[in-house]
Amino acid sequence: MEIDAVLDSAVAAGMAQTMAAGAQYCDVRCYSEDASENLLLYDGNLEQNAAELESGLGVRVLCGGAWGFAATSRVREAPQAFVRALANARTAAALVGVPLDMGRCPPVSGAYRSPVGRDPLDVPLAEKLDFLRRLDARLAAPFVQHRLIRLQLQRMTNRFWNSEGSRIDRQLTNCFATLMVMGLDQDHRMQRRSHELWTSGRGTRGWEMVLEPALWSGRAEQVTEELGQLLQAPVVEHRRRSVILLPGQGFLQVHETIGHPLELDRILGYELSFAGGSFVTLESFGRLQYGSEKLTVSAFGGIENSPGSFGYDDEGTPERDYLLIDRGLLVNCLSSRAMINEANQRAGRRLFAASGGASRATAFYRAPIDRMTNVNIVPGTDGTLDQIVAATEDGLILDCPTSWSIGSNREHFHFGCEIAWEVRDGQIARVLRNPTYQGHTLEFYRSLSAVGDASTWRVQQVPNCGKGEPNQIMEIGHGVPVLRFDDVLTGERS
Amino acid sequence: MLDSQTRDSILHVRDEAIRRGIHAFFTLHREKSHLLRIGNNSVSLNTSEDLTRLDVEVLAGRRQSAYTLMGDIDGPATVRAALERAVAQTAVAMPKDYEPIEPAVAASIAEQPQYDPALEALDPAAKVETYERIMAALGRSYNYSGSWSSGSLELFLAGTASPATAWHLGTDQHFTCVLKHPDERWELAIQQTGWRADQVAAQPAIAELGALLPVYARPGWRVAPGEYAVAFGPQAIGELLGLAMWTGFMGRGYEEKLGWTAGRQLGERILSEQVTVIDDPADAQTFRFGFDGAGLTRRRFPLIQAGTLAGLAYDLATAARYGRQPTPHAGSWSLVMAPGSGPADVGDAAGGLERVLYIPALHYLNVPNRSQGIFTGSSRFNAVLLENGTATRPIFSTRITDTFAKVFGNIEALSSRPVPVNLSSTYGRRQPEGASVPAYMLCSKVSVTDCADSF
Repeated sequence: MEIDAVLDSAVAAGMAQTMAAGAQYCDVRCYSEDASENLLLYDGNLEQNAAELESGLGVRVLCGGAWGFAATSRVREAPQAFVRALANARTAAALVGVPLDMGRCPPVSGAYRSPVGRDPLDVPLAEKLDFLRRLDARLAAPFVQHRLIRLQLQRMTNRFWNSEGSRIDRQLTNCFATLMVMGLDQDHRMQRRSHELWTSGRGTRGWEMVLEPALWSGRAEQVTEELGQLLQAPVVEHRRRSVILLPGQGFLQVHETIGHPLELDRILGYELSFAGGSFVTLESFGRLQYGSEKLTVSAFGGIENSPGSFGYDDEGTPERDYLLIDRGLLVNCLSSRAMINEANQRAGRRLFAASGGASRATAFYRAPIDRMTNVNIVPGTDGTLDQIVAATEDGLILDCPTSWSIGSNREHFHFGCEIAWEVRDGQIARVLRNPTYQGHTLEFYRSLSAVGDASTWRVQQVPNCGKGEPNQIMEIGHGVPVLRFDDVLTGERS
Repeated sequence: MLDSQTRDSILHVRDEAIRRGIHAFFTLHREKSHLLRIGNNSVSLNTSEDLTRLDVEVLAGRRQSAYTLMGDIDGPATVRAALERAVAQTAVAMPKDYEPIEPAVAASIAEQPQYDPALEALDPAAKVETYERIMAALGRSYNYSGSWSSGSLELFLAGTASPATAWHLGTDQHFTCVLKHPDERWELAIQQTGWRADQVAAQPAIAELGALLPVYARPGWRVAPGEYAVAFGPQAIGELLGLAMWTGFMGRGYEEKLGWTAGRQLGERILSEQVTVIDDPADAQTFRFGFDGAGLTRRRFPLIQAGTLAGLAYDLATAARYGRQPTPHAGSWSLVMAPGSGPADVGDAAGGLERVLYIPALHYLNVPNRSQGIFTGSSRFNAVLLENGTATRPIFSTRITDTFAKVFGNIEALSSRPVPVNLSSTYGRRQPEGASVPAYMLCSKVSVTDCADSF
């Protein structure tokens, strides 16, 4: 499907009619291509060799202070989608407590393309499979029971229009990759060790990223070796101590207990029936000491190589770089235009100056909601991982989530990880298996006692953040250094 | 019935594939979805999606691939293009080290066991009116949220391995309403489910929420870590059951010692003898499908029989790799946990007990250790302390971390009343899934590991 002059005209006409019929605002997203490839090599067998192509159009209309949305995969039915979206908004307007308001923004014309050296979907399938086959051979070892390699490659091309005159073309490209080995431990329980494709934040995000050994495939032998150690390791004991989160675990801690609680729609109560609320309130901003002074968190849409970078969000706001938490103090949130206006109205003052540019939709058939962009912890001054370990008396180094469970208001959490290294008196003593830890968000971040320098910082890619009704999956990124927290409850009661 | 143009296009290209010696399987998925979302006493979103997907799987010896197209499936040319793409992918695929099983529609079927045109065409204004009635009855000083998903799903399956075709049309809905106190940090919720328009109504919601309000007006109770008698409610049972199945009853996990049933034999006792779980596509409280996504005919399939391991689900790939028979579990299950012999209502079951935690729903369940069957999740919505069977106080958000074997092994009482629960998500394509579970499951010695400051 092409976004051509005919469709452009149809959209312009549809928006004009919708606005003439009394709408306050209207936007349209047309996806000419939302393509993906999913390859899964399991024990050397190509168990998934799947491609997908979606195309269609979604129309969002604000009328009477309420949203209506309609989507169709039959683009020739675009005029009906405008009619349906407006009708939906009018129906919704019958039950409005606080009318939604987008405010006014100047029109934006622009374009964004993810920086790509070689488009991953243009690489011949045979070439990709050959690469995976060679990588798979490197995962074999006598104690390895199962080997898994997964590639998820995405390219989305769309055009955005809104009734303020904005028109934005985007092409977003993502490469996600996982390698994993599994083996039976001394109790005949399956253990696993894995590595996800990460980025430095710099560079391009095409097929070349997958091929770069330092980012992914170069870890194959190390992951296998660490599995071998895990299979012989004792179980983590249930007690309090420090935890040192490597970026492979720290990203999820940040995602679940900083990112989600700071989404403004959650804070305002719009996610209560499914994803949950937030312990953060509008009164918290500028007042709540979220963490220790070592904690500074940014929302930075402009990391050049991250799935959380997209140029413009799904209501046309250009990506932004701003702080969410400044030396422990909560100062801002992840937001969209209507949510900002509602928050300021409820607060009775200008609490937030502008949208955070975080209004995103997973596909043409979903309406945008407040999401994360790149939520990052700013590197600190506590040195390298070795230096942080050397300054730790009693702790665990933790990596790679196996499980995550968070309270509905994001107050408390429980995480399971693949592997732990015990630290005693500044030295790594041994590997431990079945690590878990739990805590309460504010208490946990206030115990942040060390933040690694820039050498420890890396961007973890998240391909599967779930939220919203109808449910939506979103791709985002987190730049995180090594982090140490003190007095954390680890392990499970025997 | 599927419109003739789409049906004929698929069958035309299917027949072309047969003539060319291509082994292919086609699935058409058409959904008409509607969702009304409530937030802060307002409609926050009112959506309609009309989406068509075509999946094509191709098998060439030991090589396999799949291609999905969402867009205008407007004639044979589109279907043929999708097939050609899948054929091209298959040509370069690596051969597997086992002989794959080709999907095939086992028997021709055209069914609409649960289709209500009134629900398919339900006016969003009727949804708005239902929420308004609830708000008016319980008071607008509370903050209301919720969502109401409804719609229809049409499936059409055809393949080159058999002349049979399978067609399904059904409707489904899932209604939630959350009532939040404007100042206190607690929320109550109700859920309703069904396939007919008349299965969601304001009055039962008003009654259920209204009964809880006086309890939640009292101070909350923080549950200290330790072991407690816990009565799980329907939504919690459904979620636990689903996760227990996924981590313990999938053939792949069993064969490869990934899951918590690994090493146990069929016929071996693994849970309380009060536990019988059957995948029963004839159960009217679930969403019924007469065939699965691989074309297999669905039938009554025991998974746990009086606490013993009775069955495991094998997808085509796992069955092929391990020499088993595939089972009809590609797509929605109809999990039915048999009711017990206990009193119908939890209050009566807990009547002789000093203290029971009643946890109707669990939030964000996950599995820290799949091979040990350890799960963790926290209470959410309507959780109360029962003292001698009477709800006396709300309990703060309480984390339970325990094993499936222990929780489903220490059942003290199981309700005699079956209750439907909706286990559907709206990620990706519409695919309704429901279960039937006892109204409560009272278990002893359940491990509470944490408790929060809100509910």
